[in-house]
Amino acid sequence: MNARATPVWDLWPADLEWQPMARQLRTVWVLRSLLRLGILALIAAVGLTIWLGWDGLLWALGGYVVIAGLRALAVARIVSTWGYSERAEDLLVRHGLLTRRLSIVPYGRIQLIDLSAGPVERMFGLTTVQVRTAALGSTTEVPGLDPAVAAALRDRLAVRAAEVREGL
Amino acid sequence: MSAAHPGEAAEPEPTPAAAPDQWPAPPLADWPIGPEVAPTASAPPPGVPRQRLHPLTPLLESFRFFAAAIAAAGIQVVTSQNYLFAVYIALAAAVLGGVGSLISIQYRGFVIWGPELHIYGGVFTRNHRTVPLGRLQSVDVARPLRARLFGLAQLNIEVAGSDGTDAKLAYLKADRALELRGELLAIAGRPSGDVAVDGDVAETDESAEEVKTPPPGQVVPPVRVRRLATASLLEALPVQISALVIFGAAYLTAGSIFGFNRVTTTVWVGFIAPALLGYVQSTIATVNKFLRNCRFRLRRDGQSLLIERGLTDTSHETVPQDRVTAVSFERPVLWRGRRWRRVEVSTAAAAQSSAGVGTRLTTVLPVGEPDLVAAVTEAAVPGLPSQFTVERPPRRARWRMPLRWKWNGAALDEQVFVVRHGLLVNTYFAVPYARIQSVTVVQGPLQRLQGLATVRAMTAGGLGNDAVAYHRDAREAASMADELRERADAAAALETPRLS
Repeated sequence: MNARATPVWDLWPADLEWQPMARQLRTVWVLRSLLRLGILALIAAVGLTIWLGWDGLLWALGGYVVIAGLRALAVARIVSTWGYSERAEDLLVRHGLLTRRLSIVPYGRIQLIDLSAGPVERMFGLTTVQVRTAALGSTTEVPGLDPAVAAALRDRLAVRAAEVREGL
Repeated sequence: MSAAHPGEAAEPEPTPAAAPDQWPAPPLADWPIGPEVAPTASAPPPGVPRQRLHPLTPLLESFRFFAAAIAAAGIQVVTSQNYLFAVYIALAAAVLGGVGSLISIQYRGFVIWGPELHIYGGVFTRNHRTVPLGRLQSVDVARPLRARLFGLAQLNIEVAGSDGTDAKLAYLKADRALELRGELLAIAGRPSGDVAVDGDVAETDESAEEVKTPPPGQVVPPVRVRRLATASLLEALPVQISALVIFGAAYLTAGSIFGFNRVTTTVWVGFIAPALLGYVQSTIATVNKFLRNCRFRLRRDGQSLLIERGLTDTSHETVPQDRVTAVSFERPVLWRGRRWRRVEVSTAAAAQSSAGVGTRLTTVLPVGEPDLVAAVTEAAVPGLPSQFTVERPPRRARWRMPLRWKWNGAALDEQVFVVRHGLLVNTYFAVPYARIQSVTVVQGPLQRLQGLATVRAMTAGGLGNDAVAYHRDAREAASMADELRERADAAAALETPRLS
């Protein structure tokens, strides 16, 4: 019974050392979700105000507080599920709260490594590492690392990718 | 500092630390750089006379236009007895076509210039295609039906390392085509004998149909037309029957509700007619597929498989062995009793499009018994078995796919990762370990409650080329992914010429 509740990556036969994301990632993602919900709430507020008068504004605000609070909790938990693990031959990335995903990218198959940082991410000092292979739709993302950590990860991956080149 | 003095020219070059900015500039290399690029990169000067294609070429190429014109004229005659209008249509088509082809033939032609063949074409948008004859793979004389009527032929020129689209020279007189083929092969330095069998086998092939053993150089005996027809029919039958049943049922239910008089107008026009179009289209697709797979021949040429097929239009495909990313064994539901299977291979083409690596799906055996399947498989991926035993997902996953559960499965074979899926077309999809790009394990919320997970082994190219093992036991899925990774590394390490 207990085995069913454990996420799939904990069933991995060997022991894995999971590296967490940077601490600021939670802040950034919570803020981002608040912002998105805020835009929705604004639209809803306009509608509700037309419909109910000034009471509608209160309803929208109340709804926003409740939903945004729940969402923020969920996002915080989602962030905590993200993790990556560098092994001798491959990179493992896990994430997901409801649907759990575990991606395994062998170093030998890496074709491109991208670093990217949006304006908000830059403000909080975060960088995203994207790893691509020749397979379509297999872009593996490690979001929210400290720039120094991300650059170091990129360099390590690049060196190992050059060492074991396996191609298609 | 002193290097510029003429009296001290014999002095060795100054050290870099001395004055790097005062060295004399090295002489520029001739453009283009490289010794043997220069002679080949030259296009023929504009004055060189081009060889013309046959004057009927534009007419044959726009035969659809003429077919449409004839159909239009015919409809006029049949429906409204309007002979005059039909004559107008025919005249207009003839004048338009004649003038158009007169203009377009001026711009078409080809020149053999040094080791290259230059093909010109296009009126508004000029094309100029350069075919390096040094990399010539094969030249075949193909005779499509419409060209055969006029005693014409076309040359399909395949070049190694191209994206699979042949350069075409269409149309030439049949004897001129043969002659030109010899010329091209001579320039390429290839004996014209070894591909001569492709040339005009149209007549000799019928006698070879009854042969049971493969002719020399071919992997399998030619697929007999009757068997191919049966196979196509059996494959199409479930779809056809269900479509007819659905149409009939829809017609009857609608009729019983609205009465059969109004049905003919409202329901027929609004609902059944559009659906019927799709049905007709799928039927045409089936027939087309049958025609394309007729006269299927598979040859082996060093490291690649050469495929020739087509009843009216002969087409060629090349499958390089080291690019095969997956092999799929398909069995439509009605083939089960005959133990037939169809074999298709996915090959990773070099990056031609902006999307990166593209994949092609090539049929290497349209239909065949287990021994033929085994022979073809061995030719496509040496050492790959063609029979697999796969393990079904656990019983508790059955309610998630009640019909398909029995036909699903996955196994870690010796050389390949095999998954099985599909109810109407049951498919074994085998990916060699060395071709696995990355592995993902996904577990949805319901799957987590049941302790299940889905394993996906990705290969180069699109999502359709991934081997997906649905609903495995979660613990098994994790260890399967681990095992896949280990075997992929081991297999990739064994490959001597690595692709990149």
